[in-house]
Amino acid sequence: MAHGSRTQYREELAGLETRTLEGLDLVVTQIDRVVEAAQQQDIELAEWVISDDDRIDGRYLEVHQHILSMLALQAPVAGDLRVIAALLHTIKHIERMGDQCVNVAKLLPLAGHEPPRHPELLAKLIQMGRLARAEVIQSKQAFVMRDATLAEDLVLQDREINRLNREIFRDAVDIGDEPDVREWAMTVTMMARAFERIGDNAVDIGEQVAFVVSGLFREFSDSSTPPPAAG
Amino acid sequence: MTTATPAATEAKRVEVTDLDIYYGSFHAVKSVTMTVQPNKVTAIIGSSGCGKSTFLRSLNRMHELIEGARVEGSVILDGQDIYASDVDPVNVRRQVGMVFQSPNPFPTMSIADNVAAGLRLNSRKAKKEELDEVVERSLRGANLWEEVKDRLDRPGMGLSGGQQQRLCIARAIAVEPEVLLMDEPCSALDPVATLAIEDLIGDLKENYTIVIVTHNMQQAARASDLTAFFNIRESGDPGELVELDRTDKIFSNPENKATEDYVSGRFG
Repeated sequence: MAHGSRTQYREELAGLETRTLEGLDLVVTQIDRVVEAAQQQDIELAEWVISDDDRIDGRYLEVHQHILSMLALQAPVAGDLRVIAALLHTIKHIERMGDQCVNVAKLLPLAGHEPPRHPELLAKLIQMGRLARAEVIQSKQAFVMRDATLAEDLVLQDREINRLNREIFRDAVDIGDEPDVREWAMTVTMMARAFERIGDNAVDIGEQVAFVVSGLFREFSDSSTPPPAAG
Repeated sequence: MTTATPAATEAKRVEVTDLDIYYGSFHAVKSVTMTVQPNKVTAIIGSSGCGKSTFLRSLNRMHELIEGARVEGSVILDGQDIYASDVDPVNVRRQVGMVFQSPNPFPTMSIADNVAAGLRLNSRKAKKEELDEVVERSLRGANLWEEVKDRLDRPGMGLSGGQQQRLCIARAIAVEPEVLLMDEPCSALDPVATLAIEDLIGDLKENYTIVIVTHNMQQAARASDLTAFFNIRESGDPGELVELDRTDKIFSNPENKATEDYVSGRFG
């Protein structure tokens, strides 16, 4: 009798997880748009990204309210409690990822509609966006499958984003004296920083997955120690 | 957040207006005005002596079994004041069923006879096939059929506590009431049987309007859509309805300080 009990609660908890993790799909869509906007210097598409962030913010409010209700009404314990705590962190990371997409979108018009662009630097930025997208998808898979190994692998994936971020910064410093080019390159470093943060948020979600699976929270990597020497 | 599902059967609402309940000179419940929503579970919570059980019983005139009981105000069920002079309380109790704190199957009756007892008491002449159908439908409705279908002629008292309570729920729904009142239906049950009853309550609201009195605040939180908090100001004062709202609101952000104190366990 106990096995099939609290069906409605279980369905509600599963639904809450689905609604939360769907937020990562919304982020993937926003990354796709903002990467294309950066590639094409498409200001209109960038504006769309800014206005569509309301959907992610709305999802944040919805999930937040639902989690409060679940805590108040259902008193979840053990594994259920860990999932709900992890979902509360995860939806916050999703909301931040959405904001980072907006940051990129807002930076795009700063250098003008047709800025003097440096193809190699732009390619690195686009690559960072794609890697961030892959990390977001991997974080969702790890959560859905309760796969702690896949979650911890996000740290390895994130190293490449971090490496490109540092490279873009160095490239921008060395890009020459042309004021327009320098101005554009500065916006690229800030956009790179936004993608790098999305990667960090994906790793943070991975840490939540490990917490759900093991019951122990630990950071995958200590950001206070210097990164490994990059090639 | 409660998922809104369309009701299988539109149950009836109960409109309570300025209801005062007295036992002789004792004023038990003061001036309650509230609507009991159809196809919803309304929980009534409050400390002992706040009048919640008295109020529940007044919804099917069960409190009149205590001598000196009287009410002022009105309780309208489906357009009819159940306290109107031409209304038969027995008919009210057919429309508004009650499930009690301790499972109370009729001790000498079989499982099937327990379920059919209400029909017989309501003096409906029914054929055996018709009775069999009602017994099966009611036991299925109470999530008990699979567990007892092979021993319908065995005594109802032979069931476990949780099964007995579901048998009493089957007996209550056999007469097809509009409203089901439950007075602490799980207080005599273990946690597993309690969860089974709570699941059943969730299923039953598709067809019935349900009011449940509970001392267990977690149960009110888990199992109800709306929660009414009753309270008394001082010992000896009448019970009053302090706050009625969506259950998630009552348990996360109630309007009234007394409600917050009670649901937070800072009361008394």
